[in-house]
Amino acid sequence: MLAESPAGRATPLGDGRAICLKGGFVRKRPVSLILLVFAAVLAVAVFAMACGEETTTTTSGAATTAPTAPATSETTATTAGEVKPIKIGTSLPLTGARSVPGNAAKMGYEVWVEMMNEKGGLLGRPIELIVKDDASDQNIIVADYNALISQDKVDLLLGTFSSLLVLPSSAVAEKNNMVYITPAGASPQIYERGFKKIFMSQQSLAPDAGKVWANWIAALPEGQRPKTAAYPTIDDPFTAPVVEGIEAILSAAGIKTVYKDKYPEGTTDFDSIVNAIVAAKPDLIAHGAVFEDGVSLVRGLLKAGYAPTYLFQTTAPTQGDQYSEGIGAENTEGIFFHMSWAPEAKTPLNDEFIARFKAKFGEQETISEDSADAFAAGQVLAAAVEAVGSLDQDAIADWLHNNEVQTILGVLSWDEAGRPQGEMMIGQWQGGGVEIVLPKDLASTDTIVMKWSPKVLQ
Amino acid sequence: MTGLLQTLILGILIGGVYALLASGLTVIFGVMRIINIAHGALMMIGAFVTYTLWRDLGLDPLLGVVITVVVMLAIGWVLYLVTVRPVRRAPVTTSVLLTFGLAFFLEGVMGFIWGNNAVAARPSYVDASISLGRFYVPQALLFGFLLAIVIMVILQLIFSKTWLGRSIRASASSEDAARLVGVNIPLVAAMTFAIGAASAGAGGSIISIMGSFLPGMQILWITRMLSIVVLGGLGSVPGAVVAALILGVGESLVASYISPRWAPALSVLLIFFILAVRPQGLLGTKLREDVAQ
Repeated sequence: MLAESPAGRATPLGDGRAICLKGGFVRKRPVSLILLVFAAVLAVAVFAMACGEETTTTTSGAATTAPTAPATSETTATTAGEVKPIKIGTSLPLTGARSVPGNAAKMGYEVWVEMMNEKGGLLGRPIELIVKDDASDQNIIVADYNALISQDKVDLLLGTFSSLLVLPSSAVAEKNNMVYITPAGASPQIYERGFKKIFMSQQSLAPDAGKVWANWIAALPEGQRPKTAAYPTIDDPFTAPVVEGIEAILSAAGIKTVYKDKYPEGTTDFDSIVNAIVAAKPDLIAHGAVFEDGVSLVRGLLKAGYAPTYLFQTTAPTQGDQYSEGIGAENTEGIFFHMSWAPEAKTPLNDEFIARFKAKFGEQETISEDSADAFAAGQVLAAAVEAVGSLDQDAIADWLHNNEVQTILGVLSWDEAGRPQGEMMIGQWQGGGVEIVLPKDLASTDTIVMKWSPKVLQ
Repeated sequence: MTGLLQTLILGILIGGVYALLASGLTVIFGVMRIINIAHGALMMIGAFVTYTLWRDLGLDPLLGVVITVVVMLAIGWVLYLVTVRPVRRAPVTTSVLLTFGLAFFLEGVMGFIWGNNAVAARPSYVDASISLGRFYVPQALLFGFLLAIVIMVILQLIFSKTWLGRSIRASASSEDAARLVGVNIPLVAAMTFAIGAASAGAGGSIISIMGSFLPGMQILWITRMLSIVVLGGLGSVPGAVVAALILGVGESLVASYISPRWAPALSVLLIFFILAVRPQGLLGTKLREDVAQ
């Protein structure tokens, strides 16, 4: 076969003979060289962007960050002089399917580091935070945590977001005998592997996350209690147990399950799933959602013109503006979800966390509970390290097994496997914003909207 | 029965959208023998461009497609010149690796420009449906489907009625013969890639109103598009259309009547079956690799 002639040599249509005569043996382009160069450049670029993005944040008391400072790569020189910083490493899903909670967690960690360093750091040393991007990939996160431990030689670890990524990364930490305090990882299976150094900085694991809400539904008077329920969920180690936990309570209360199924991650067509749910006519839908799927299923219901009386979703409704923008703020009224944190919570340091977050990332930036969970993970780590007065991983783990820690989420404590021992709050979208409605003693309002009321269906 | 017909309606509509998304990918392969893994990323760029036009200028996403297509045409052209042209003559595996890297590079660029947050264009009709007796037809999906048909008809007209289209088809048939009759092969290749990118961008406009999206979703879309293209026959636009409709309807039926868990398995099963029985795909033609190279 002839090689391609150089660009611009070809003649217009109908003048083919000329090309034959002029072209002869056409010069062969040195493709392999160009190819090699491009492949190399692209490989480096992709590797840098997809796998190896690393952000180091070291802030000190003297250094203040501008109010609108970007969340990405910033390195502020430490003013602590010769004092060697304490290196804390994490890998977060900053890109890929889980980038929404991943980026929120990064913000939470950064706020925590900044506030800690202003107070003099940890054990009198400034904190240097190393953040890698695992691209929402289980293999990359394993490589990242191995690199944090063996190459970056971090002193302490913080966890990542979503159970799917906590599963492999916590195993790397355990194998290296390092404490792993994680802001997410509510899947029960994470704590069934006999690990001694994992602790989750939220109030409860997945099966109990919707417990408060399910008990409330089950206790409703006969006229308000739903008779049938649907339980769609993404096939995810976190969401599925939440929904199963709710179903167990509601089934025991006599509420009939009319639809129950899992869909795989990456599902984009929700109209057919909604079609099957609508055919079952449930009074209540408890949906195990991550994010996009939560938005898509609600939109599918709106398109099908079907609104169950009660709609509960995991995770997605906690994402503030991104969620209300996705389904339309006017369609959020009455949607329930579980939550680990609320801006209204009167916990110590909560107001300072919010103020610092707004100062650092801008007033308009919505604070996700994922940022607060990450901040709380930092608080847990700091409390344990300060209490034992060293970086001894065994001592830190022992202390956490035997003590409570006050965080912006409330008081956290753990059993021998690192399972948190508290209860999640239940939130509800009301009037375009979020209110804590359950449990009653933590509620930010006495009102509970008794029906999901999307405007588009009114 | 109502449920079945409703499922078929939804399946055909989503299949039509899939057809548009896959057609650009298959055209690029047909003409250039390049499997463009970055096609999904180009779709997401199209979605973000459309979203930006809607958010900042209030332009309806389905009207904004006109601008999106032009922008994507330019992006496609530049990408071709910078990245794809140097590997035009390399084996198919090289282009797969290159465009695979390109896909993640573009994902990073999107994250840089638009952030890794989920967004969605929400024109007034986005969650509304048209009632037809006991059935409902989601307006966004219907409009997306109609737009997909319009764009595919335009693509078909370009291919059959214009000099460019004839050049593209001539190049696909035999590059050497096309060159001999004066077709400017490098130009045609660049145009083909750009048109493929533009059709991906048009598909992105439709995606922008179908749900929330973020840069990382490119990999989900390219996986499905590749399934369709392989099923239909690499390089065959009619094949891609048939395969898209089969997958759209098939997945809807499986999701509704068996379990959504099994919906993605359908495409894999169909590909397994088709590769065993008819390796060139439903409407594909056999490549004469024995003598062509």
